[in-house]
Amino acid sequence: MKNTGFKTAALRERHIFASMPALLWQIVFFYVPLFFILVVSVLKRLEYSIFDNLTVQHYKALFDPAYYKIISRSLLLAFSNSILCFAIAYPIAYFLVFRIKHLKSLMIFLLVLPFWANFLVQVYAWFFVLERGGFLNSALLGLGIISEPLHMLNTPFAIYIVMLFCYLPFMIMPIYSSLEGINKSLYEASSDLGASSWQTLFRITLPLSSSGIRTGFFLVFIPSFGEFIVPTLLGGGKQMFVGSLISYFFIETRSIFLGAAFTCVSGFMLLVAIALLTVFLRLVFGRDRA
Amino acid sequence: MNSVKKLGSLALPVFVFFAYFFMYIPIIVLVMFSFNSGNTNFWEGFSLQWYHELFKSVEIIESLKNSLIVAFSAVALSLVMGLFFVFYGSKKFVERGLFFFYGSLAAPEIVLAVGLISFFSFFSVPLGLTTLIAVHTVVGMSYMTPMLYSGYKSIDKNLSEASFDLGATRGQTFIKVILPILYPAIMTSSLLVFIVSLDDFILSFFCAGASTVTLPMYIFSVIRSGATPVVNALSTLLLLATSFIVLIFVSLRARTKLF
Repeated sequence: MKNTGFKTAALRERHIFASMPALLWQIVFFYVPLFFILVVSVLKRLEYSIFDNLTVQHYKALFDPAYYKIISRSLLLAFSNSILCFAIAYPIAYFLVFRIKHLKSLMIFLLVLPFWANFLVQVYAWFFVLERGGFLNSALLGLGIISEPLHMLNTPFAIYIVMLFCYLPFMIMPIYSSLEGINKSLYEASSDLGASSWQTLFRITLPLSSSGIRTGFFLVFIPSFGEFIVPTLLGGGKQMFVGSLISYFFIETRSIFLGAAFTCVSGFMLLVAIALLTVFLRLVFGRDRA
Repeated sequence: MNSVKKLGSLALPVFVFFAYFFMYIPIIVLVMFSFNSGNTNFWEGFSLQWYHELFKSVEIIESLKNSLIVAFSAVALSLVMGLFFVFYGSKKFVERGLFFFYGSLAAPEIVLAVGLISFFSFFSVPLGLTTLIAVHTVVGMSYMTPMLYSGYKSIDKNLSEASFDLGATRGQTFIKVILPILYPAIMTSSLLVFIVSLDDFILSFFCAGASTVTLPMYIFSVIRSGATPVVNALSTLLLLATSFIVLIFVSLRARTKLF
């Protein structure tokens, strides 16, 4: 038997190079490019020389309140979108875990489907709901809630509502799986000891699902911060967000130095925001118990 | 008191119903209008004309071709490299290495795109299908490698030991023992990577260059310049394809967890 172990180890040793390409690929096409954002942001020209080619002028050019307004607008969007997603996702996940039995797999399937569907198609579909003669206006007019069609496309409202529904599955999924993991006998114990259902929710369910909530917040917060498609298509390009400004730098004006510097600055802000969000989540939902 | 309680217990199902309703109403309306005979957003009657136009459009066929080339290459590359990584790496190496694959999932996609365009322009790499494939493979591997590893980890190690004892080489063991057992993990992760690649807009938008257009890039440009109902038909077909793939995915993973 000892022999076999020896043989396996020897075979493994010989082929270690075969497992390298995957990691190398990741390093060459992800980690090195990440580093190159920093490199490009301090260059004067796209040359291999360092001497006489380094500058901080691109960062200096970013010392303009307009840019910080854009970053804070994106931070606000990311934060409020995470909160809104949480507010809608938690009841849904709770319902799916505790309240239904029969249609559960169908409802979960319906939840996963948009997660896989083309993001652009999802965003595009909202045009039919939000436009002047669209579904929402027709419904509200029909119900007599409004007397004239509302102007919804190309407004912050359009951006917020579409972001909310596009990112909702990212919040529901992790919360759903953390709720699934809660030991059901805790609920019997809680009701045996006389806790009301609200007490049970706040003292058992919420704290025990905090790891899922945390994951959900990050899954929504980080991509929302860099979101480009929704503000560009549904916001009418009126308000710049971090994602739209970056693509403006790189695609429209080809000012890659300024674009790289701006990406570094907003990336740094994102890291700070993530740290603050971690603290915030700990204060609100308690420590990670999972 | 009792009726208040009854009302309260209804609140949650009603809430969930409305959430699902708003999740699906845009898609339902979109699909409906893809069969509209007029080109306005008012219902004018049933017709398949937009589907006919769709298949006549050279741009759409061309961009679909590009998207498929990129998606299939990304799946193939990440599958081969991912399998080799999982199978040939030592346990310690693989478990530590896996960490590196999460990076591109954690960063906002646009940061990844900016990094690549900076990198490619610094070395004056011409943008096109090749760069797209490289990029999509990065993202593909981030999804695929952890999935392959969790499948590989659950395989009984005695099976490969037995195979070695019976004189099989490592390559033979890989093909005759590991691959067949790993088949569900391979299929599900390939489907996932395929969809992710087909779906991707941001990375392609930055890294495709001026002459290469993928399907999402085409859809984006059409929506931006005022959509035609052809996009409705195209979107409907994409949704159909997606649902079909999700069904396969779910049935393959029926006995395992969804995520």
